[in-house]
Order: sequence, then C-alpha cells, then structure tokens
Amino acid sequence: MNAATQREEDLFDAARKLAGSAERGAFLDRACAGDPALRAKIEGLLAAGADAEQFFTEGSSALRFPGLSLQSSRGTPASAGAIRASLLGEEPVGTRIGRYKLLQKIGEGGWGVVYMAEQEEPVRRRVALKIIKLGMETKSVIGRFEAERQALAMMDHPNIARVFDAGATERGSPYFVMELIRGVKITEYCDQNRLDTRQRLDLFIQICHAIQHAHQKGIIHGDIKPSNLMVTVQDGVPVPKVIDFGISKATEARLTDELLFTAYAQLIGTPAYMSPEQAEMSGLDTDTRSDIYSLGVVLYELLTGKTPFDAKALIGSGLDEMRRTLREREPPRPSIRLNTLERPDLAKTAESRQAEPARLIALLHGDLDWIVMKALEKDRTRRYETANGLALDIQRHLNNEPVMARPPSRMYRLQKLARRNRVVFAAAGAVAAALVIGMGTSTWLFLKEREARHRAVAAEQQEARLRHNAEVREKITQAALLVSQERFDGADDLLKALSLTQPTVEGAAVFRALGEWHALHNRWREAADRFAVLLRINQLDGVDVATLDYLELGPPLIELGDTDGYEHFRQEAIARFVATPCPFADRIVKISLLLPANKRLIEALAPVAEATAQSLTEADADGDAFKAAWRAVSLALFEYRRGNYTKAAEWCRRCLAYPEYNAPRTATARVILAMACRQLGRVDEAYSELGGGREIIENKYKSWADRGTPVQGFWFDWGLARILLREATTLIETAPRPQ
Amino acid sequence: MTEITQVLQAMGRGDSGASEKLLPLVYDELRRHAAARMAQEAAGQTLQPTALVHEAWLRIVGNGDRTWQNRAHFFGAAAEAMRRILIENARRKFRLKRGGHQVRLDIEQLELAATTPDEKILLIDEALERLQAEDPEKARVVVLKFFGGYTNQEVAENIGVTERTVERHWAYAKAWLFQMIRAQK
Repeated sequence: MNAATQREEDLFDAARKLAGSAERGAFLDRACAGDPALRAKIEGLLAAGADAEQFFTEGSSALRFPGLSLQSSRGTPASAGAIRASLLGEEPVGTRIGRYKLLQKIGEGGWGVVYMAEQEEPVRRRVALKIIKLGMETKSVIGRFEAERQALAMMDHPNIARVFDAGATERGSPYFVMELIRGVKITEYCDQNRLDTRQRLDLFIQICHAIQHAHQKGIIHGDIKPSNLMVTVQDGVPVPKVIDFGISKATEARLTDELLFTAYAQLIGTPAYMSPEQAEMSGLDTDTRSDIYSLGVVLYELLTGKTPFDAKALIGSGLDEMRRTLREREPPRPSIRLNTLERPDLAKTAESRQAEPARLIALLHGDLDWIVMKALEKDRTRRYETANGLALDIQRHLNNEPVMARPPSRMYRLQKLARRNRVVFAAAGAVAAALVIGMGTSTWLFLKEREARHRAVAAEQQEARLRHNAEVREKITQAALLVSQERFDGADDLLKALSLTQPTVEGAAVFRALGEWHALHNRWREAADRFAVLLRINQLDGVDVATLDYLELGPPLIELGDTDGYEHFRQEAIARFVATPCPFADRIVKISLLLPANKRLIEALAPVAEATAQSLTEADADGDAFKAAWRAVSLALFEYRRGNYTKAAEWCRRCLAYPEYNAPRTATARVILAMACRQLGRVDEAYSELGGGREIIENKYKSWADRGTPVQGFWFDWGLARILLREATTLIETAPRPQ
Repeated sequence: MTEITQVLQAMGRGDSGASEKLLPLVYDELRRHAAARMAQEAAGQTLQPTALVHEAWLRIVGNGDRTWQNRAHFFGAAAEAMRRILIENARRKFRLKRGGHQVRLDIEQLELAATTPDEKILLIDEALERLQAEDPEKARVVVLKFFGGYTNQEVAENIGVTERTVERHWAYAKAWLFQMIRAQK
C-alpha cells in the first residue's frame, strides 16, 4: 500500500465516523485543502459507503453452497461458539426436545452427547437421549433412520435396548431416544466382579443371541464394542444389553467422517473393534459378518483383557497403516497373547478371572483360541456364518464337544497366501488412484455424502437382501451342525432349495458332505445337484483352487447318463483352468476325459496336459511317487483319448512301476492299459489287465462305505475307475475279437 | 512454531505422509469457518458446511504442488478456495437463470439495484480482482471476511495486524469496491 492510498484510507476512516454532513465537509475542507481530486475521491467513497453496506449484505445471501438454502451470517465470536456447541450436539440441561426433557448429561463420545431425559407422554419414563454431532446431512440421516424404524421396532429381545424414537433438535442435530440402561460396560463388569472364563462366556453367548436376533431381522449393529454392550443386574442376575442398534447404520456418513477426522485426534477406541472391511470404508459392502468380527474382538478382550490390536497403536499409525494392519496382520492367538504379557499384567489378568496364570493360558489354548480366530478371520467368508454359529461353538466347547473351528490346514494357508497377494495388488491400485495423499479420502467422502440420498432409497432393498443372507447363513450353520452329527437327511432338507450368492467356506463344506452322502447311496441326481452348488460356491470365492471338488461332480453326471450335463461340465472345467497355472492340472485332465472326446476338446485340453507333464517331472524330482503316479494316469488317459495307444500304454506302465501302491489308481492304470492293448491288437494282454483291474474294483465295491482317504482312495477315485472299467469291458469283451 | 506449521513445512519438504496429518489438525477450524459462512438462521433447515470444507480441501491440498509457510498462509489459501467455490456456484446459478452460455456478466445490461444476490456476488468478485492489484492487503481482508467467514479477530491474527486495522480496511474496501462496481455502469 503506498502512502497516497494510506492517506485516503485514513481520511475516509476519520470522515465516516463524523456524524453530520456539515462536519464531514468541514473536516474534508481542512484535510484536503488544495487537493480537490483527493477530496472528490473521499467524498465518492463516503457516498458509496451506505449503499455498499446494503449491496454486500444482499450479496452475501447468495453465498450459499449447492443444496443449501440458508442465509449467511458473519461469524462473530459468539455465534462461532454457538455453532461449536451445536456441532458437538450439546444442549443445556433442562432443555425440552420434542416430548423429552433433558435431565442430566450421562455420556459423551466422538459422535455426540448422551443425556438422561424424561418422557412425559404417553408414558412417563426415563429414557436415554443421544444427540448426534452436527455436520452431516440431517435429513438424510433421519430419513435413513426412518427407513429402519420399522425393523428396529420389530426387534424385541431381552438383551437389546429398545430404540423408541428419533428426530431433530431445533438446531437441526439428529437425536435418538433409547431405553435407558443403568449398567456398566461388559468388560468392566466382568473385571469388577472377577468373573471366571466360563461366566464370561455365558454372558457372551447371550450377546451373540441378541445380535443373531437383530441379524435375522436384517439389522446390522455396525459398532459392536464394550461400551455398546452394557451389563445390568436384575434380581441379582447379570443381564447383558446391546445398545445403539441400527444407529451406526443410520449415521453411516457421520461414522466415516468422524473416523477420518475426529477419531484421529480423540483417540476413541472404535478402530480396535472394526472389521477389515469396515476399515476399508467401502461403506455399502459391510454385512452381518462384520458384526461377527467385532464380536470376535470383544470375546478376545473378555478372555485376555486386551484387544487383538492396540487401539492407540492403530490410530497412531495413520489411516493407511491402520487399514493394512486390520487387513493383513494376524493377531496373536489369545493364549499366546497372554503368554507374552508382562508378568504383573498377566497376574492381574488371571486374578480378575479367578485363575492361576498358567491355568488360564491352558484354558484358552486350543478350542477357545480357534473359536476366537475363526471369528476374527480377515476373509469374512471364513468367519462364523452367524452369531448363532459362534455361540453354538462356544457352547460345544463348554459341553466338551468338538468345536467346528479348527486350526487351518496347510492347503488353506497356501490359499490364504494367494489371497493376500491379491489384496496387495488391489491395494497398489488404490494407491495409484489416490496418488495425491489426502485427496483420495476427501474426494471419496465428498462423493459419498452427495450420494447419501440415493443410498437411503437403496437401504430398503439392501435390508431385504441382508435379511435373506442372514437366513441363508442361519440355515447353513444349522445344516453344518446336523452334518457334524451325521444327520444328513435333515441337513439336506434344510438346504435343498437354497440359492447362494456369496462365497462361504462353511457352506461349501456342507454341500460337499451332502453331495457325497447322496453319491454313496447312488442317488446320483441329488449328488450332482449338490456338487454343482459346491462348484458355484467355489467360483464365487474367486480363487477356484479346489480342483478336488471337480472330481466330485464328474462321476455322478456319468452315472446319471447325463451326457449333455457332463459335456457342459468338462468344457467349463477346461475353460476355467486352461489359462490358470494350477498345481493339480492332472485332475482336470482326468475328470474331463471320463468319456471319449472329440478333437476340439482334446486340443483345448492340450495345455492342461502339458502342465500335467511338467508337474509330473517336478513330482519325480521331489521324490513324490504318490503325485507322480497319479499324474502318469492322467497322461495315459489323455494319450489314449487322442489315439496314441502306444504312448498311453507307456504312461500306464510307468504309473504301475512306482513303488507306492494305491488301489484305485492301480486299478485305473490297468484298465486304461487294457484298452490301449486292445486297440493295439494285443488282445491277451488286454484281457489280463482288464481282469486285474476288475478284481481290485469289484473287491472294493463289495464293502463300500465311506468317503475314503487319499491313501485308500476317495469315493470318486473309485467311481472314476469303475466308469472306465465299464468302458473297457464293453470294448474288450463285447466287441468282436479280432482274428 | 505450531504443529500445523511443522506439518506444512514437512509437506514443503516433500514428506508425502504429512498431508494426511494435516487434515485432522485443520479440519475443525476449516469447518468452523464454513459453518460461520453458512450458519443457518431458520430452525429445522439443514446445513452442510462439511461439503464446503471437503470441496475446499480438495482444492487446496488436492493440487499437491502447493506449499505453505505457516498456518496463516494455509488458512488464507483455504479462504481463497472457498471464495472460488462460492463464486463458481453463483456463476453457475447465474448462467442457469440467464439460460445461456454467458460466462461473464455483461454489466451494461444490469440495473444495479435490480441485480440478484448471485449477480452482486459476481460483481463484487470481479471488482475484488482490481482491488487485489492495487491493495492486496485489503483484498485479503475481503476474502477472509466475506468469503471465508472469518471474524475480525481471526482476520487480524491471520494477516498480523490489529483488529482496528481490519475494521478500517473492511469499511474502506467495501466502499471502494462498490464505487468500482457503480463506476462501471
């Protein structure tokens, strides 16, 4: 600013404070003596002053943002204070909100304030009134909540706090009215009363049932953590109560907003209980299984006194790191966690559970470890399907029955490795998309808020879908239980008409067991149907590595005489594996050639056969005769089907030469060898091999009972051998003997 | 040095993790300004300062190539971003109303007293460009106060003058801008 403008401003400022025009005139006469241009300028400004004020005031009413219809007011310190209060959801005690009078502030969280309030009509009662922080689109929150009101009203469970009402305060903050629970957090209750592990599990089972009740009505809690699980004492009996049901979903936008910004600073504990998929904040994509994860965290804490991941460390590591931890890092099993505690800490933990440290660790080791870890699976398809399933497994443990959660097999861990790598790739993509740090999340949030309204509409459909999924999962859990008790018919009835749209490991296991049950009883249609569902479930999972399951479906289709179905099946199998490197390519070759094949199919299969040859070489190099011999059988069948009988015979002999004996494999190799010999005109040899193969197979089917094992051969290994035996019998015994 | 300034300087040094730390530090204040700018007057209406904050955040940090010396500099940029957002919004509404492809106001065709609030805003914004050239400090007061929703005290802190000076600048700038607008007629 130069001296001249400074002077203009000084004069303008002095003059505008003078009341009358006469005084101003006199002042300017003196101040601008000899400078008429300056005087004219100042007078111009002064004349503009009054109109300017109005012009700016009117203009400022246009400073609105899309979607807003409100006047602006300049932020004086006083109004800034009021805004701050309303942003926090604070209201003075004594204020009346709708039918409720605020009596006392009883809590405060990252998302707002909770008051004890009095309702006067239609009934006089004390309620809890929770006012949500402002800063989100109130209407859409209330709208979403309204959409859920019906469902919430349907929830009637002794362990769920009722939600009575919702509305907006005069300032526009949404509020919820709930049953007033006078109790303490479940974790505090357990420690204060030194509940032992069994008592803790009993309380926890009740909570699972409450959550199950809600899930069956299509309602997700979304924010399960100890402070939402209160324990009240009624007639001397502790009663757990789940509070805040449905609220987290209604205020979804707020949760993400808060997580990003305020939770960071306030160090609230939520992330510790958050499922990996919630932390990803893909919003639409969380379902009841996210609650299962949070239940797992609570169970972990009830047992060990610690959460799987430390809340402060999670928050302190930053958003990306927090997500990565939740997505990828395996927490220590509960017993191991206890084992690594500092001695005094461990002593205290054990003492509050009325146990010696060593006893407590031993108690958690095994079943409880696996139950907790199954609930905490990163991949939700591997968690318990339902809260009931989780409760049942705990009950089984308490009853000393075997639990369904088991330590993961090696194969399963391998699959998980592949899955984890997939996540890494996906994460790399996400990083590229959000190249500018901070931009990604903010853009996303912004878009998300704009879409809030659309989502309110979608919410209802979503809810119906969730209810359906919850029912499906419930059935699967029940069926799994029935299968474990060998009550196959009951399980089969339950799942007969079920259509699955989501990958589920428990579901896959049940359908596999049911298919095999039917297969062992020669009910081929039912077996084929169950196995077809099994393959579909595997495909939903994306990582279709379960080649063994393909072996299940082939034989039933042939036994049924469903050649069209088989044709379709083998083409799909080939298409699926031809481009995917697979350690068990030989299974695909084998299962695709149960019937003769045309040239096109043989050609399509050639790369898979190539991979089989490769894997045979590798098995040989590893000294793995079991695998090598199976691979040789597959290659023999492949050569036989393409008409290379000499080559086929060679592979059969190679298979039979391995020192390791496996009955169905040996039988299969001899049957293929018999057919190859017949085609080569070596009839006597053909008869002898056919006889040898037949003897093994018929022996087996005299005392046929169970699914089998890899060593004795699975049922389908035998089924496959028998199918080829029939073909060989026709070829060798009924065709005219060449002269 | 405030924590915000430390983070800003870390960003200036190319520490890519720093901007993630920045948002929680500045968010409350940004939102307070946005809320002040748009505080509701009628009860029961909804307000969405959050949307404005997010949009502003995108513009100030989204470019990635900006650096700020300190917290005042940063919030100054934030107010500038809010100004641009609000102006674009006014311009969009103006265009919709005029139903054409007109991008700038044709002042000759406007009767000043009959202009809509949106048109007034656009006129103020254009005049502000001229003030910016002649007297950047006063222009900054206008941006912070008028578009940024700052209190006199906050403006004073931001540009390092007394509240009294802010008040003087604001009165002068308003008269100056209005005169400029009227003179174009």
